[in-house]
Amino acid sequence: MSDEKDAQPTPPPAPPAVALKADPLKEPVPSRAVDLLKERFGDQIAEVTYCAGMPIVRLRKHRIAEIATFLRDHTDLRMDYLSNLTAAHWPKREQPFEVIYHLFSIAVRHRLTLKIDLGEGEEIATVCPVWSTANWHEREVFDLFGIRFSGHPDLTRILMSDEWIGHPLRKDYPLEGKPEDHQQYREVTTAEHVYRYDKAPIRGFGWKKEVEKTGVGRG
Amino acid sequence: MFHTEDMEINMGPQHPSTHGVLRLKLQLDGEQIKDMRPVIGYLHRGVEKLCEHRTYAMIEPLTDRLDYVAAISENLGYCGAVETLMGLQIPPRAQYIRVVLAELQRIASHLLWLGTHALDLGAMTVFFYTFRERELILDLFEAFCGARLTYNSMRIGGLLEDVPRGWFDRVRHFLKIFPGRMQEYEDLLTVNRIFLGRTKGVGLLSAKDAIAYGVSGPPLRASGVNYDVRKALPYSSYDQFEFDVPLGSHGDTYDRYLVRMEELRQSCRIIRQALDRMPDGEVRAKVPKYIKPPAGEVYHVVESPRGEQGFYIVSTGGEMPYRVRFRAPSFVNLQALPVMCQGGLVADVVAVIGSIDIVLGDCDR
Repeated sequence: MSDEKDAQPTPPPAPPAVALKADPLKEPVPSRAVDLLKERFGDQIAEVTYCAGMPIVRLRKHRIAEIATFLRDHTDLRMDYLSNLTAAHWPKREQPFEVIYHLFSIAVRHRLTLKIDLGEGEEIATVCPVWSTANWHEREVFDLFGIRFSGHPDLTRILMSDEWIGHPLRKDYPLEGKPEDHQQYREVTTAEHVYRYDKAPIRGFGWKKEVEKTGVGRG
Repeated sequence: MFHTEDMEINMGPQHPSTHGVLRLKLQLDGEQIKDMRPVIGYLHRGVEKLCEHRTYAMIEPLTDRLDYVAAISENLGYCGAVETLMGLQIPPRAQYIRVVLAELQRIASHLLWLGTHALDLGAMTVFFYTFRERELILDLFEAFCGARLTYNSMRIGGLLEDVPRGWFDRVRHFLKIFPGRMQEYEDLLTVNRIFLGRTKGVGLLSAKDAIAYGVSGPPLRASGVNYDVRKALPYSSYDQFEFDVPLGSHGDTYDRYLVRMEELRQSCRIIRQALDRMPDGEVRAKVPKYIKPPAGEVYHVVESPRGEQGFYIVSTGGEMPYRVRFRAPSFVNLQALPVMCQGGLVADVVAVIGSIDIVLGDCDR
């Protein structure tokens, strides 16, 4: 502090002051997890940023299961609690999908966010064997974004019905309107059925019509 | 020759003990549960998608409709998330009133749980008793914000208005009569032989499983894991209050009951401290008319009566959020239901669903 006071007679130039003003949100915080990840999986880290006191590590997708196990089992980190797993859709980016993991350690009480970029149609390895809670979270991401998790024990829709057409949280999915206004949502193939949009109403309210079975239904 | 067959039974989506539209597909071997598959989504309203098309101020009423039994916790969490993103300092009086509201809400929510849980297990009287006290709290909320269920009680940056005159005295009056009323519930249940028979050793969940399945709130603490967001990651000045985090030891339905009963007492303790030390001053920070948080993202968690309620907001600097995700404790806790029910009896499913205290509006969003 005293050094700053001494330095006051020579006022600092304006541009750095403006930059400082925008800083508090993105200010780095010390994180043992980030240090250890850099040390061990340095080649897998694409970028490290900070936002609102949370370190955010952007990873490459290939070794996510291994990194997850490392984070959970390392004695200093013990990230045993997968608080949240979700995704975001950025249609203008080269890799339009982003899978986001919010981790917390109940023992050490520190937090970490992992992010992985995915291209359209790319799969990512599941983290169910590491954190059992990922099961439903990944089903939800599959349901609402259409991102597939390889090795997932039961990758089916969870919030929408099985015959739903499209993935509602994608940015190109319309917020409202009738299905006939949105040509792209006319056909969907699930593990069990192929569904096509049919303009003739079925028993009053059907705008989806089951046309053929692809396999044995779940019942 | 004789042979046995597994039977598949549907429980719900219209079943009085599932507390909403929850459907369970049970695989039964006689009375025993071999497998269970919860089917959810019947109450999915696409709130996250709606949020992407609403301004920040317009989202708060939507959060009311997630966990409609504890709407204030949702309001608190959402406002807290946006405030963190904007770097707002909330006036201490607003923070304390928020704590009072949130803890009253916790009591109201736990009372609703206690009444319906006991009702599921055949104890009818408790239901009338707990709703009598819940009514008093709803009257307090009505006096504060005019609504009895979906409050929309907070604003980004604090509260819309200060509490009405004499409101704190009414809260104090409630705190005065509540311990005696709690004794009435305890007399009815805590050592009731039928209640013990239905809950002790039923729906066991080990600490390891609880953490792996991401269970939070009273079910997690009943398994002996000391994790309460109010202590671990304090928000809204919770670090200034003294309270204990009750922990169970067996992780069964009875422990979950005991943990919630103790939480009722601890909530009263927090409210009393907040009333005694209530600061004066403004109840709303200076907030721009159009709320536009800077580009960035925040994951803010609060302890709702059901567990860890998370709010993930991505902003691109516009007046509408780019992506909002609600981490719903009911959704995550429900996932552990098959683990708790495995090998148990069909009749116990009712007890276990009651003990994890789900709200389907929260679960399905």
